[in-house]
Amino acid sequence: MADESLLSDELLRQLVAVGHVDILVGVPTLNNAPTIVPVVRAAQAGLSRHFPRARTLLFNSDGGSDDRTPALVRDSTPDDVETLTASHPLRTTHRITTPYHGLPGKSSALRMIFAVADLLSADAVVILDPDVTSVTPDWIPALARPVREGAVDFVAPLYPRAATDVPLVTQLVRPLVRAAYGWRLREPLVGEFGCSGRFAAHCLEQPVWANGLVREGVDLWLAGEALAGGFRPGQAALGPRVVAHATPRPGLPDVFQQLMSAAIACLEYHTEYWLARAGADEVPEFGTVAICTETGPVPDLQAMALAFARDVTALHPVLETILSAPTLQGVAQAAATAPDHLVYPDDLWAATVFEFVLAHHRAVMTREHVTQVLLPLYLGRTAAFLLEHAASSAATVDDALESLCLAFERAKPLAAAQWKKA
Amino acid sequence: MAQMVANAVRQAGVNFVDTVAVLLPRILITASIVAVGWIIAMALKWVIRWVLAWLHFNQGCDRIGVGTVLKTADLPPADVIVSLIVFWLVWVGFLLSGVDVLGFTALEGMVRGFALFVPRLLVAIVILVLGVVCANFAWRATLIAAVNARVPSPRVVSGAVRALVLILAGAMALDQIALARTIVLTAFAIAFGAVMLGLAIAFGVGGGGIARRILDHWFPEQPRTEREEFRHL
Amino acid sequence: MKPQGKPSDPHWYKDAVIYQLHVKTFYDSDGDGVGDFRGLTSKLDYLQALGVDCLWLLPTFPSPFRDDGYDIADYYSIHPMYGSMDDFKEFIEAAHARGLKVLTELVLNHTSDKHPWFQEARSSLDNPRRNWYVWSDTDDRYSHARIIFLDTESSNWAWDPISKQYYWHRFFSHQPDLNYDNPDVREEMWRVMKFWLDLGVDGFRVDAVPYLVEREGTTCESVPETHEVIKFLRGQLDAHFSDRMLLAEANQVPELVRPYFGDNDEFHMAFHFPLMTRMFMAIRLEDRKPLVEIIERTPAIPDECQWAIFLRNHDELTLEMVTPEERDFMYDEYARDPVARINLGIRRRLAPLLEGDRRRVELMNGLLMSLPGSPIVYYGDEIGMGDNVYLGDRNGVRTPMQWSGGWNGGFSAADPERLAFAVISNPVYGYQAVNVLAQERTGHSLLNWMRRLIRVRQSTRVFSRGSIALLTPPNHRLLAYVRAFEKEQVLVVNNLSGTVQAVELDLQSLAGAIPVEMFGQSLFPRIGTQPYLLTLAPYAFYWFRLRRL
Repeated sequence: MADESLLSDELLRQLVAVGHVDILVGVPTLNNAPTIVPVVRAAQAGLSRHFPRARTLLFNSDGGSDDRTPALVRDSTPDDVETLTASHPLRTTHRITTPYHGLPGKSSALRMIFAVADLLSADAVVILDPDVTSVTPDWIPALARPVREGAVDFVAPLYPRAATDVPLVTQLVRPLVRAAYGWRLREPLVGEFGCSGRFAAHCLEQPVWANGLVREGVDLWLAGEALAGGFRPGQAALGPRVVAHATPRPGLPDVFQQLMSAAIACLEYHTEYWLARAGADEVPEFGTVAICTETGPVPDLQAMALAFARDVTALHPVLETILSAPTLQGVAQAAATAPDHLVYPDDLWAATVFEFVLAHHRAVMTREHVTQVLLPLYLGRTAAFLLEHAASSAATVDDALESLCLAFERAKPLAAAQWKKA
Repeated sequence: MAQMVANAVRQAGVNFVDTVAVLLPRILITASIVAVGWIIAMALKWVIRWVLAWLHFNQGCDRIGVGTVLKTADLPPADVIVSLIVFWLVWVGFLLSGVDVLGFTALEGMVRGFALFVPRLLVAIVILVLGVVCANFAWRATLIAAVNARVPSPRVVSGAVRALVLILAGAMALDQIALARTIVLTAFAIAFGAVMLGLAIAFGVGGGGIARRILDHWFPEQPRTEREEFRHL
Repeated sequence: MKPQGKPSDPHWYKDAVIYQLHVKTFYDSDGDGVGDFRGLTSKLDYLQALGVDCLWLLPTFPSPFRDDGYDIADYYSIHPMYGSMDDFKEFIEAAHARGLKVLTELVLNHTSDKHPWFQEARSSLDNPRRNWYVWSDTDDRYSHARIIFLDTESSNWAWDPISKQYYWHRFFSHQPDLNYDNPDVREEMWRVMKFWLDLGVDGFRVDAVPYLVEREGTTCESVPETHEVIKFLRGQLDAHFSDRMLLAEANQVPELVRPYFGDNDEFHMAFHFPLMTRMFMAIRLEDRKPLVEIIERTPAIPDECQWAIFLRNHDELTLEMVTPEERDFMYDEYARDPVARINLGIRRRLAPLLEGDRRRVELMNGLLMSLPGSPIVYYGDEIGMGDNVYLGDRNGVRTPMQWSGGWNGGFSAADPERLAFAVISNPVYGYQAVNVLAQERTGHSLLNWMRRLIRVRQSTRVFSRGSIALLTPPNHRLLAYVRAFEKEQVLVVNNLSGTVQAVELDLQSLAGAIPVEMFGQSLFPRIGTQPYLLTLAPYAFYWFRLRRL
C-alpha cells in the first residue's frame, strides 16, 4: 500500500479528481528548465497519439527547482494545433506537477511517482529522464504497450549504440548484471523505463528508500529488483539517447565510484537470488533497435593505454591485496603489452571484476579504495576494446560484447562459490 | 676484644634473624599477592580474548589495516596483543602491590618510577601503531587518488605522504616517552620542514601546469561549452 | 402545472418535449398487422399522460416502401394501410384537443421513382416535368459529393434505361433527387406544405435538407442556393401561418448547421447530431470532455430558434460527424458485432446500447432533458424497448410498440406472421418483459420515472429557454452546469461514471443560494464561498433549483 504521508492534502485533492488511470507518465525533475519542455511535449503527444482512449496522467515530481521547471511543465502546450479531424485524446488529459519530500534526488522523486501510481491503480507507469533531449512521442508506447498488453512487468530501454558508446555499461555493468542475475538485459542502467503498477507497488513496499543504495543507484536497483523479484522483464527499442545535463556532472572517478558501489550494493542486496542463478535467459525484445552508423567520439587510446601501463605498475602493491596471483599476473602482462599491442582478454577482465567484487564484499581494505582501484583497470580494458573495435561494424562489436558477456558468465560460478565462503 | 667482636657478631646475627623474621612474612605475602595476581591476570586475559573473538575484533582490525601491520611485523594477532596487554597491566599492578608490602623504600622508588613509565610507553606504542596504520591508509588513498587524477609519479607522492605520517607518529611516540626530547623535536622539525620544502619546490617548479588546470577546473572563466567529448556513461 | 407555450404561442416548439413515432408500428386498430391512425388516436391518452407536447410522425404517404415510406409516391395523400384522410383529420383533431402538436415528415429532397412526377419526367426528354429532376449524360458530374448509403450504393448517379440518361440520387437509387433550381419544384413543394398545414399539421420535420441543390466543384451539401430554397419556403409559411414550425434534418457539425437558422428566416429548429454522439461517448469514456467540447463549439442561434436534441431515432446512430478515432471507439464500445453497423452508424435502440443498464438509461435521459434544446423521445425508449439487428436496413429499431405481455405485445390482433415487423420476443427485451401495461403497474418503472422526469422538466422554462454555463470541477467524471432563465437558476450535476464520485464545485458566484433538489424537493446546505462538496452515486444526477430566501 502507498505511503500516504508522501502526499500532501493538495496533491491528494488533485489525485481524487484524476481517479484511476491506465497510464501514468512520471518525470522526476530538479532544475531541468533547459530541457524539460520537449520532454513534456513528447510525452503528451505520445499519449494522445497512441493512447487516445486511455485514462492518463502526466505527473512531474520536482525536487525544489529554482529555475521555473514546474511552471514550464505545467504550462507547456502541444506543438500541433488540435482540429476536429486531427488525432487528439478522447478523454480529459491530466497533468500534475508537485514537489516531493525527502532529499533531492531521483529516488525520492520515483518514490512519490510510485506512490501516486499505486493510489491511482495505474496499469502502466512510464518514467522519462528530463535531461534526454532525444525523446520522441514513440517512446511512450514503446515503454507502455508491452506492459499494458500484459506481456511483461518491466520494460528496460534499448538504444542504438555506437562501438564507442558508454563503455561503463558495455564493458562493466551489462556483463556483470547479466552474469550475476542471469538475464540478458542490454541496458541495466534504466534512465527511462516502463513498468506495471504491480511492480511500482512492490518497489514502494521495499524498506530501502532511506538507504544509500537506492539514493545513489536507484536506476540499477530497479533493474535488479525487477530481475530478482520474480517480475517479467522486457526491453523496448527506443531512439538514440542524447543527454544534455542542465547542471555540471561529476567527473569520471566520482561517477565510477558511485556506479561500482551501487552495482556491488545491488549484489549484496540480491545475494540470495544471484547466487542461485545459473546461465542467462533471453529478455524479450519489443521493436527493432536501429543500427547506429555513427562512430561517436573516440578518446586518445594511446594515452589511455600508456596510462594503464603506468597505473598498473604504480598500484601493484594495492592490487596484490585484491587480486589473486594469476589474475594479477595477467593484468601485469596486459599492462606490459601497452601501448602498442594492448590486449586485455575477456576472461581476464571478467576475473578482474569479480575479484574486485569479492574484495569489496570481504572488505580487504576500505571499500571505497577497492572501487577506486578498479577505475584504471577499467580504463585499460576500455582502451584495449576500443583499439580493437572502434572502427568495427556494428555486428562485429555486438559479437565482441556477447563474447565478453559469456566470459563473465564463465567466471561467475567461481565467484559465487567464493562469495559464499566469505 | 674478641668478646666484643663476638658480641657484635652475635648481635648482628640476632639483628639479621630479626630482620628475616620480620621480612619473611612479608615475602610470603608478596609471593601470595603475585601468585593470585598471576591467576587473575590469566583469567582476565582469557576472558578478554573470548570477548574480542565474539566481537570479531580481529576482522575489524584487518579492515582498518592494523592486522596487516601486525602480520608484516610478525606479531601475534590483535586480540592476543590486547589480552597480553591486559594480562601484564593487571599482573604488574599486583606486583606493585606486592612490592609495597615488602617495604623496601629504594625498591619502591624504582618500581614506582617504572610504573609511571609503563603507561607512557604503552601510549607511545599505540601512537606508533596508529601512526603506522594511518600512514598505510594515507599511502593507499594518496596512491589511488593520484593514479586516478593522473598526477605524475604517484608512488613518490604517496610514499612521501606515508613518510610524513610515520615521521609525525614517531616523533609523537618519542615525545610521549620523553626520550631525548630536544633532539627529537629539532630533528622532526628539520625533517618535516625539509620534506615540505622539497614538495613545495617540486610542485612550484614542475607542478604549475597542474595547478593551473586544477584552478581552471574549479573556477572556470566562462561556462564550459558542451563539446563532443568521450562519455563513459 | 405545465407552463408550456399556449396554443397560439408562435414559439411553442421551444418548450416542447417531442415524441417521435412510426404510425406503422405504434398501434394496429384493425388487425391487419400494420399500425394506423385510428390506432394512434386511441393511444393519445397514453401520450398525454407521458407528458409530451408534440408528436412527430414518420412518413405516412403512399409509397412503395423501399425506404420505409421515405420514398414518396404521392405527397397529397395517406397510404391506405394507415387509414383514410378522414382518419388522419380525426387524429389531428384529437391530438390538438389534448394539447398535442403534430409534426409530419416533409421529404423535400427526393421522391420515389414510382412517383407520377418521375414517371412523367423519365418518359421523354421533352416532358414538362423532365426538369423536375437532375439529369446527366455522364455519371461524373458533382464528383466531390460523398455517397451517403455506403452499404448499398456505389454512385450518386443511376442509369435510367427509359430516357437513356443518368439521374441524380443522394440516397437510394430508387429515390431520384428533385431539382430545386426549377422554380416549379419550389412552388409545388410549397403547395404540398400548405395542403398539410391547412389540415392542421403544426409543422414539418424536413428530411435531408443539405442535399437540395447541387453545384459542380462542391460537396453538394449546404450550398448557398439551398438556403435560398429554404428562405422561400419559410417566407411562404410565415406569410400564411403564425405558429407553425420547420425542423431541419442537417447532419453537420454545429457551425455548419447554424446557417440553417438564418436570421430566423429559415428553419425554426434543427437537430444537434454531434451532441447526441458525444453523449454516448462521454458516458462510455466516463469523461465529460467530448460533451464540453461540443457544447463550447455550438454557436449561438437566433432567440426564436431552438436546437432539437435526441438520444435515438428511426435511423442508425450516425457516426458521420466524428473523427475516425472516435468512430472506431464507438464501434468498439457499442457495436462490436458488425451486424449492428450500417452505413456510418449503429442501428440499435437506446436500451441495448446501454446494455439495459437502468442507471445509464436514466442518466442519458437526464442529460437529454437538461441540456439546451427541445428533447425528442423516440417511441419505445420510454419503456426501454430492445431492437432486432437482424431485420434489414434500419428496421430493427422500428419494431412494434410493446403495450402488454399478450398477443403481439398488445400491438395488433393480427396473426404474428402478418405483422409488418416481428415484435421483439427475447427474454430480456421481449414484450413479455418490457411493456407499457406492466410498467404502468410498477411504481418505479422506467415509464413512471420518465413521466416524472418530463413533468419536472416542464415545471420550469429554465431547461427549454435558459442559458448554459459550464462548470469545470477537477473531477472530469462530473459534468456540471448552471442553467439560467430570467431570475431562475438550476444547477445540474451529472456523474458520468459507474463509480461513486466526490466533487468539490466552485460555486462562489452562486453564494447564498439554497439548492433544492427538484425531484424530491430536498433541501441542501446553502452555498457559501468554500468549494461545495457533493457525492454522487454511479450514473446519478442532480437538478438543484437555486432558491434565494
